[in-house]
Amino acid sequence: MHGLFRWSSKWWPGVIPLAVFWAIAAWTSTLPMESDLAARSGAALKDTVLDKSQIAVAGRDVTFAADAFSDADRHSAVASVEAVSGVRLVNDETRLVPEAKPFVWSAERDVVRVTLGGNSPLPSSKAKLLEAAHADLGGVEVVDHMSLARGAPPRFDSAARLLVDQIPKLKDGKITISDNKISLAGMARDLGGREAIAAALKNLPEEFSVANEIKAPPYIFQAYKDPVAVTLTLSGYVPDDKVHAVLTAAAGRKFFSEKVVDNLKTSIGAPAGFTAAVVPALGALSRLSTGTLVVSDREVKLSGDAFYDAAAVAIRAGLGKDFPKDWQFKADISVKPAAAPVDATVCQQLFSDLLAKGKIRFVSARATIDPDSLGLLDRLTETALRCPTVKIEIAAHTDADGGDAFNQTLSEKRAQAVTDYLVKAGLPADRFMPIGYGSTQPVTENNTDEGKAQNRRVDFVVR
Amino acid sequence: MAYLATFHWGWLLVSLLLGLAMGWIAVVQRGEGVSKSTARWLALLVAALLAAAFARVVPGRPGYWLDLGLMMFAVYLVGCTVGSWLRDWVVSRHTPAA
Repeated sequence: MHGLFRWSSKWWPGVIPLAVFWAIAAWTSTLPMESDLAARSGAALKDTVLDKSQIAVAGRDVTFAADAFSDADRHSAVASVEAVSGVRLVNDETRLVPEAKPFVWSAERDVVRVTLGGNSPLPSSKAKLLEAAHADLGGVEVVDHMSLARGAPPRFDSAARLLVDQIPKLKDGKITISDNKISLAGMARDLGGREAIAAALKNLPEEFSVANEIKAPPYIFQAYKDPVAVTLTLSGYVPDDKVHAVLTAAAGRKFFSEKVVDNLKTSIGAPAGFTAAVVPALGALSRLSTGTLVVSDREVKLSGDAFYDAAAVAIRAGLGKDFPKDWQFKADISVKPAAAPVDATVCQQLFSDLLAKGKIRFVSARATIDPDSLGLLDRLTETALRCPTVKIEIAAHTDADGGDAFNQTLSEKRAQAVTDYLVKAGLPADRFMPIGYGSTQPVTENNTDEGKAQNRRVDFVVR
Repeated sequence: MAYLATFHWGWLLVSLLLGLAMGWIAVVQRGEGVSKSTARWLALLVAALLAAAFARVVPGRPGYWLDLGLMMFAVYLVGCTVGSWLRDWVVSRHTPAA
């Protein structure tokens, strides 16, 4: 042991090459060791959710800066770096992500792009929202202006995801979440888009309240009566197949001579009372010689030419009478120039032609004229105006159902009702002879419904 | 320490070999070694450096260099001790025969 002390006093010369080796070792190993420690510290943080994570290594000391989303995350991240083998000290420069109050997230769509902005609670939610937006919007540019913040309302992710899915249904507009209030404004891309969005919003987590101010493009229905092609062209939208059937059936009844060209498409988004407004409006159109009906949302516009002055007045006064509340209408009705007068033979021919195409209908077992027949009556009135000198017998017939006396009285009343209509249109009463024949002059057998329908008729006979 | 040992085993081996060689030479070297008082000061210096290393008061790269130097020095001392002891053993085995 004593020798060891003696020898050790002579060990010092070796310290000189040792110092040289030390200097070389320090020179060559510092950078590789630092990058090794940085890589392993980064790997240790892989499972911790952090934002703006930065690791700087000097020697074996790690300076670690990051934004954490909770105190627990923050402490566990620092502990993970401290546990990395070889790390001597950790300079903790982590902090909590700032808390947003109110917590606001927004998605805005304009002509060319979709911008996601405001706050997002975690990098993963931000990434999911961006991914969903890219997937939903196909080729549309998606711009990310979201920043991370704490303080998101519970179930933010599912609410925001549902709202992102609504962006494709918007033409332009903005969707905002502010704490647990959601507001939507803008214009839907398609008819029915507003309703589709409203339906989807019902699936939002219940803690969110919604202010939905999405507007929809106008709901358009159009009908054009073309006297040259003798067609009625229906275009635009109807809410469903049932309404479609109702409208085409009504058009078939009211437009007795025109061919109905049906270009209607089905779409949701119709205003309330759509059918109740469109059916009487089609009735008004049927009384025009030529005309256009445009229904845009709750506004009805009818323009065209009536057959004679009194009809124009009646149509203007009658339009809108049967409309549901909140509906508006505008009638731009002029009167067709009077056609050239004709002699008695041509007059009879014209009456016969008209009555061969359509029949004057009445409410069953009563003498009230069916509104569907007003178009035909206006055409008959116009014809009567063209032959001012002839006298006309209005001959009403019934089928054989019911007693003879009842049928006789009914036919007389019906003949009188038609005469009254013509007189009201401005024709002198003394030109008409209303006569009821009851069921005495059938044109065919009364044993089928079809036969009975043919026998129920009103004829115009020039005398 | 374990990390430094695995990362720098080459340099530590070099230090050990250097220590063995120096220890081997020291036994038979003529001439003066360091004086007792100098040795004491040196021991004090090493103790101070060790204290600084364990207290981790030297920051960043200098702190790392200090740790590395002390480790290499420690291994060198071990090498010296083993070298000197081996040489002494070899010498004492040969002396009675001579």
